[in-house]
Amino acid sequence: MYSTPDTVKFSKMNLTELLENSARQWPDKTAFLEDTTEISYAQLVEKISAFAEKLKTLQLGTGARVGLAYPNGVNYVALTYALWKNNFVVVPVPTECPPEEISEIATEMELSAILFPKALAQTEPLTPEIFVSRFLLATPADNHGLNIAFIRFTSGTTNARKGVVLAHETIRDRVLAANKAFQISEHDTVIWCLPMAHHFLITIVLYLNVGATVVLARHVTAKPFLEATNKWRGTVLYAAPFHFSLLARDNSPAQIESVRLAVSTTCALPQEVAAQFHKRFGKSLLPALGIIELGLVALNSEDPQGRWNSVGKPIPDFQVKIVSPDEHGVGEVDVRGPGICDAYAAPWQSRENLLRDGWFVTGDLGRFDDDGFLFLLSRKTAVINLAGRKVFPEEIEAVLDKHPSIKESRVFGRVHPHLGEVVEAEIVLNAPGASIENLSHYCREHLASYKIPTRFHTVQTLPRTAVTGKLIRATATT
Amino acid sequence: MIQASEIETELLAFLRRDIFSPDTNLTPETDLVGAGFDSMSLVKTLLHVEQKFGKWIPEGEITGDALANTRALAATVARILNES
Repeated sequence: MYSTPDTVKFSKMNLTELLENSARQWPDKTAFLEDTTEISYAQLVEKISAFAEKLKTLQLGTGARVGLAYPNGVNYVALTYALWKNNFVVVPVPTECPPEEISEIATEMELSAILFPKALAQTEPLTPEIFVSRFLLATPADNHGLNIAFIRFTSGTTNARKGVVLAHETIRDRVLAANKAFQISEHDTVIWCLPMAHHFLITIVLYLNVGATVVLARHVTAKPFLEATNKWRGTVLYAAPFHFSLLARDNSPAQIESVRLAVSTTCALPQEVAAQFHKRFGKSLLPALGIIELGLVALNSEDPQGRWNSVGKPIPDFQVKIVSPDEHGVGEVDVRGPGICDAYAAPWQSRENLLRDGWFVTGDLGRFDDDGFLFLLSRKTAVINLAGRKVFPEEIEAVLDKHPSIKESRVFGRVHPHLGEVVEAEIVLNAPGASIENLSHYCREHLASYKIPTRFHTVQTLPRTAVTGKLIRATATT
Repeated sequence: MIQASEIETELLAFLRRDIFSPDTNLTPETDLVGAGFDSMSLVKTLLHVEQKFGKWIPEGEITGDALANTRALAATVARILNES
């Protein structure tokens, strides 16, 4: 039903082949619209080939891991495919990352190079739009015989930062599975607003696989988003609750009649946003459950109004079970299906080892209702979700704990009515009155801006378990 | 009554420090979206305003006109803060 590690090892397909198939089928169809520029499928493939030739001159070996620190845009997409065409592994590096974090990612992920859109210290130009920072590795990164396309960070199940390893075949499998639920085709136009460094596979790769058109514009506010949707007759919106909240509060008369599918992803959909959006546009937001280790697991297309807080039923080919349910049917949510990630990188953990009896343990607590709708109740992990970006407490604590005035820290999410959660931190000082004046500046130097706590609370001690002394993790507080 | 000029000074300092890179020469008239202000920048800015002035500015109030530049954004924020 889904790929086994053996089929992954020996089939050796490449995701660029899927895009090239689309270009053969729809050469003149628009793949991307960006501001006033249109690029057809045939032109996109040409651009990818040109980039691929340039990247070849780097003379990196097959399977070399390359960081991509680009903002959203056609170049981001073209470079991803150009790297794949050369059989390199793409490691997205969010553009918000400060140099120190980029350096950590490069070391942990054993990157051979990082691509930037502009000249920075220690970069060399490859083309006027590509600048490369190269790293000398003592030994090439070990890909364990896998045909890896992509490594992306996540919290994993233990909350530490991990790289999720995905082979070309795995991504193909999850894209095909996800589209059984989305039913996106060449007749669709997707209005795009999410950061590609965080969202790419069951979105951009899926859209390009089926010949859809993707509109990229600066949708910072509701007005240009609505204008783009109507100008280009957008049929699909795929965004975080924050974006839908922006749209729902728009007070112009603009409607979005062309939209047939509006999917809310990245974090729980607040009832207020679901209701306001429906009232404003007469359309339902479909809550979805997407997990980087698995792809799209569930989509609530059947009853988004009545059961707005359910992620729906598992999509075809996926199975979800509730482990050790309590008297209310609530237990740990385990999943299996096509496109389960191939491994965790750094330290390497194979797919067999990260599954429990063939099931992926999500870390979510949930239950099914009598009609088979899945409800997620809370996460067992302490990952914080700020307007659709995942923040890992341990990563921030590691930075705070290195501050000369801080003895230890605990980072947690505080529920925010408009953003899901915001990041806050409790800190224990080394000595009473120790200076933390420069703490904000210190954080800015070491952390991407969205990870910096909005509030610091000075406390005497942190809560720890009596027996092991382990830090007691806070779940989101109000 | 909070003056728009006071908010403009606060926002300029915040945007220069937390949103834009040091090589962006941000003035009160710089086009924010053109300079790279995105939806995460908006999230951080609204959070900063909430923390500094004690009120969440509804996202729907932030129109394209409000993001024309820092001066326009400050005027919008001042109007909403002074309404309460």
